Amino acid sequence: MRKILLIGNPNVGKSVFFNRLTGANVIESNYPGTTVDYTKGYMKRDSKDFEIIDVPGTFSLEPKDKAEEVAVKMLEEEREALIICVIDASKIERGLYLALEIIEKGYPVVLALNMWDMAEDKNMQIDIEKLKSILNIPVVPTIAISGKGFKEVVLSLKKAASVGVNEITERVGEIK
Amino acid sequence: MEKKLSEMNYEEEGRVKSIEQDLKNKVAGMGIRVDKNLKMITKHPLKGPIVVEVDGAHTSLALSIADRIIVEVKE
Repeated sequence: MRKILLIGNPNVGKSVFFNRLTGANVIESNYPGTTVDYTKGYMKRDSKDFEIIDVPGTFSLEPKDKAEEVAVKMLEEEREALIICVIDASKIERGLYLALEIIEKGYPVVLALNMWDMAEDKNMQIDIEKLKSILNIPVVPTIAISGKGFKEVVLSLKKAASVGVNEITERVGEIK
Repeated sequence: MEKKLSEMNYEEEGRVKSIEQDLKNKVAGMGIRVDKNLKMITKHPLKGPIVVEVDGAHTSLALSIADRIIVEVKE
């Protein structure tokens, strides 16, 4: 069964994401570090089953504490997994740092810009098309608590492929 | 004026001047890099963690880590 890992910074809504995708009811709270262990669930898509794993939040792939260690270890053990990188759109920079680290390791990634409504409230403008063309991965704005963008996330799973970081750096160079 | 991040006062703003080499990657994932603007939000008592604002987001750091980051504070 193909595995999908939900990875992101602490407190970006990964568990809400997980519940939406699997129909499970994992405890969510509004403070970081709620998920220290991991949770598994299942999703059916085009008559194929996927195992979805809710990974504890981490800022980077260099673990600093127990929860981060679990996250990094899980990623290393699941070399064949698809990754949904959930980031807080209103704190996009630190999210992209983690996303790039995962891309660098060669995993196929779908980037979910969660808390899109929060970013809008903060008057942030994020050019999704540009992000897509730079990263060359699916990028989807989402609001996990309302369910916005989920259909697109699931649809873009099959478009996820690994991308070379060198290409990305080149494209960033072109933009400047 | 330069000072340690841990020495910044409440609501003081500054720009990151330098970070000890072995710490750089650790804090980069939290959005703290050289030349980033920071604002001190909270300092917890009893050598507790500090909270700074960077790019509109709050991040907490252990005091021992904040000791190893140098900032240029606004006069």
